Amino acid sequence: MSAQTALMQQKAGRPGPDLNTQALHMDARRESLRLLALLSPSLLLVFAIIIVPIGWLFWLSLFDEAGALSAANYARFFEQASYIKTFITTFKVAFIVTGACVLLGYPLAYMLSQLPRRAASICLIFVILPFWTSVLVRTYAWLVILQRKGLINSWLIDLGVISQPLSLANNFSGVVIGMTHILLPFLVLPLYASMKTIDTDCLRAGMNLGAGPAATFRQIFFPLSLPGLASGVVIVFVLCLGFFVTPALMGGGKVIMWAMRMEQTTSLYSNWGAGAALGVVLLVVTLALLGLFQWLLGARATGVWSSR
Amino acid sequence: MNRTRSASIVAMAGLMASLAAPAMAGDTITVASWGGTYQEAQTKAFFKPTADALGITIKEDTTNGLDDVRLQVTGNAVKWDITELGADECARGSKEGLFEKLDYGIIDKSGINPKLVHDDWVGISYTSVVLIYRTDVFGDKGPKTWADFWNVEKFPGRRALSGSQATETLSVAALAEGIPIDKVYPVDIDGALKSVDKIRGHIDAWWTSGAQAMQLVKDGEVDMASIWNGRAGTLKKEGAPVSFSFDQGVLTADCMVIPKGAKNKEAAMKALAMFVSPQLQANLPLYVDNGPVNEKAFETGKIPQDRLKDINSAPENVKKQVLQDAEFWRDNLVEATEKFNNLIQQ
Amino acid sequence: MSIAPSALPIGMRGIEKRFGSVAVLRDLNLDVEAGEFLTLLGPSGSGKTTLLMILAGFVRANAGSIRVGGDEIITTPPHKRNIGMVFQNYALFPHMNVFHNIAFPLKQRGVAAAETAERVEKALDLVKLQGLGERRVDQLSGGQRQRVALARAIVFEPRIVLMDEPLSALDKGLREHMQIELRALHRRLGMTTVYVTHDQREAITMSDRIAVMNAGRIEQLDKPETLYARPQTRFVAGFIGESNFIPVECRNGSVWYEDRRIHTAAPTPAAGRHLMVVRPEKLQLLANAEPASGVNVLEAKVSDIIYQGDSFVCYAALRDGRQLTLRDYCRSDVLAKMPAPGQPVSFGLDAQDTILVAAD
Repeated sequence: MSAQTALMQQKAGRPGPDLNTQALHMDARRESLRLLALLSPSLLLVFAIIIVPIGWLFWLSLFDEAGALSAANYARFFEQASYIKTFITTFKVAFIVTGACVLLGYPLAYMLSQLPRRAASICLIFVILPFWTSVLVRTYAWLVILQRKGLINSWLIDLGVISQPLSLANNFSGVVIGMTHILLPFLVLPLYASMKTIDTDCLRAGMNLGAGPAATFRQIFFPLSLPGLASGVVIVFVLCLGFFVTPALMGGGKVIMWAMRMEQTTSLYSNWGAGAALGVVLLVVTLALLGLFQWLLGARATGVWSSR
Repeated sequence: MNRTRSASIVAMAGLMASLAAPAMAGDTITVASWGGTYQEAQTKAFFKPTADALGITIKEDTTNGLDDVRLQVTGNAVKWDITELGADECARGSKEGLFEKLDYGIIDKSGINPKLVHDDWVGISYTSVVLIYRTDVFGDKGPKTWADFWNVEKFPGRRALSGSQATETLSVAALAEGIPIDKVYPVDIDGALKSVDKIRGHIDAWWTSGAQAMQLVKDGEVDMASIWNGRAGTLKKEGAPVSFSFDQGVLTADCMVIPKGAKNKEAAMKALAMFVSPQLQANLPLYVDNGPVNEKAFETGKIPQDRLKDINSAPENVKKQVLQDAEFWRDNLVEATEKFNNLIQQ
Repeated sequence: MSIAPSALPIGMRGIEKRFGSVAVLRDLNLDVEAGEFLTLLGPSGSGKTTLLMILAGFVRANAGSIRVGGDEIITTPPHKRNIGMVFQNYALFPHMNVFHNIAFPLKQRGVAAAETAERVEKALDLVKLQGLGERRVDQLSGGQRQRVALARAIVFEPRIVLMDEPLSALDKGLREHMQIELRALHRRLGMTTVYVTHDQREAITMSDRIAVMNAGRIEQLDKPETLYARPQTRFVAGFIGESNFIPVECRNGSVWYEDRRIHTAAPTPAAGRHLMVVRPEKLQLLANAEPASGVNVLEAKVSDIIYQGDSFVCYAALRDGRQLTLRDYCRSDVLAKMPAPGQPVSFGLDAQDTILVAAD
């Protein structure tokens, strides 16, 4: 067919290889524009409540007290040994609390996932119940329980187990106990949800193929629960890094975490930038750590995740 | 007698106000303070009588300190006409230029310690840091001086100091080294830090709020502590087995300022003049343990004699204490606090 | 069929299972011969899957005995039963690749690495998945997953293999193909196989014997052809193949449909009401009213004829309104005498094909 006849055909609206290509192309473009328009409110929201404040935080951190561009807010971390200490304390607490949450939360989530539906939902209510009271109230409650003349020490002394009260509050262990209690549900809930999705037939298959209960748990149930455990661990760990109330009240002033230092620094230096710099550092380190975590877990977990 | 006198003062003040600025009646000013029982006492002692006398309305708010003022002033959104601050905050805010100049033609500064009278801020009341101990542990033979507090062999027991108020703890640490009251300022910061270093291993809690200090002592979590006298007085009134005195106390002043750009500066100035006047200053110890900043308050006869020993700024008590130097801390706060934080962190 | 030396017979006696107050299996007895392919066929809720779960050890019976070879296994935990199983949804381990899935039972048995590799390779060959050992499970098609599940269930040479509707998730073409392959594999390996399905066609295609289950009991256990030709109950006749049921009565040693005597090849049953089972493909269109002897004649009126390409279906109503269905191939001689809807017609049913079952 010559070009001319093809053109003629097209003009006549008869079938040809280029029939309506232009119109279809325009239609596709209009559709993607419409999609963008529909997305725009949420994009705008994300921009307004996430990108802008973080950008502003970063911007502020670059100015000193006099309002001049300077790296003083960051240089401080190296000049003052206390920041490094705080940083180490913060991550130490986060690691230990996350570890404690895993040790306590995994068996709890496992038990919940094995209970009949009714019993499980009742137990879940007890897991979620603490969410209904404020962190402050729960922290004070722990203070009442753990302090020298608190419930635990009184009981232990009355029972003759100990003669001198244990130091459970106003120190590192107090912070760990209080934070573990508050953060435990954040680990249990995603873990429980992921355990519930594990196919019971997979476990039956494991036993059928010769793995005893322990081997089935180790080789099948546990690996399949890892994605849920990972998301729980990430949530708990990140929340730990930003914790304020519990370490402030339970730490006896000796356990200074990053968020407490932000508050101190902001008021000490009469400069938002001083606190902002701390925020930026925590954000960057946290993101880097999450990236590392993802990378470490990636090879192993992608198979599990994508098959869901 | 007391009654007629205060009535005549109010009448006089009212007359004065109406003569000075008749247009002022009906004005509204907002005063921010720390909230709680302290602010309730201020309402009764200062705000209500002032509002009545000047014929203005005084609205109240609470503040978290200098940060709030800075935010309002730099953001051109000044809500307050007068706000209370700690003296060192006043000194710092003054350096940053956050406050209006005060008119000492209207405010009568006589009777106020000159260290607390500045171009743009003026003292309003005193708090003392005192040494408290539990009598159920020590009887009446508890630690009486900071040197005792530092003496862990003679006075074994659990201890708490302020972790959030580095300035106060460093003053206390200097006293513990045996430095006499009148030689504490200017504080030898490195010396004071060395002193803190000696005791820090024996400190069971570094408190960060007055409520926390009170709770630590009340629950027996510690046997001795540094504490604000207001909190110590409350504990005693509640019947807790505690003892404290103003010996070697650290007097810290609170101050009031007019934030730069306050909407009702003139009315604020007149109200502030009333707040620091001996008559109203004398009202304060009737409601709280924070002493008046104006010495002349003790000459009004309003304060009962048996109350004097409990008031930190009563002349007899002032002699036993160190007055925190706000301007010293203005210049040394950051460095000292950073070093202090580094030292006390586990 | 060759019986593999490892194949063992299963004997089930008095199996009872209740869930709460609901009896799912009642006094069930079943013998599976060594090397046999036996299918449990029944509608959902008939108890076939529960029976399989009891065999595998996942569900505990309330009473009964299961002997494999001579050994009682009713209380043996599942991982010690040495029974392979293919699950309905395959139950492959999503966190392992194909190789590790298949090697799993060998690993549990402490088989050395070299031998494991060799046996997994062999199993992959057997299910025609050569070279796919490194694939992730989620990279496999449904049919491939099915084969992996199968390989995993037989790689450790179990004495018995159980299959729980293993083909139900596949599409029709693949399902029919896999039926033939499964059958061939069974012939080759000869392990005793218990297969569960609700698909009668699949059961007939694959099984040596079929146990038709209904409401917790075995209604009939027979070879597929016997089940089809000689169903013993209305349920079996209705569940396997298409059937029309016509009420008949036995009196004086003969069988009567209305006033017409019915000829049967089987001995006449006891007096009383019975049902005649009429299979659509056993009916023939009669050209004249004088049939050969030994052929039962049923007169009806055509209501519809559906053309299906290779065959057609003729729907007709008897005088009492009962439906009869005839199915035949589209041969020209049949098409020539094809009646039109509304026309009266005579159907012939050979006495050999006339089945009677008890009316229930």
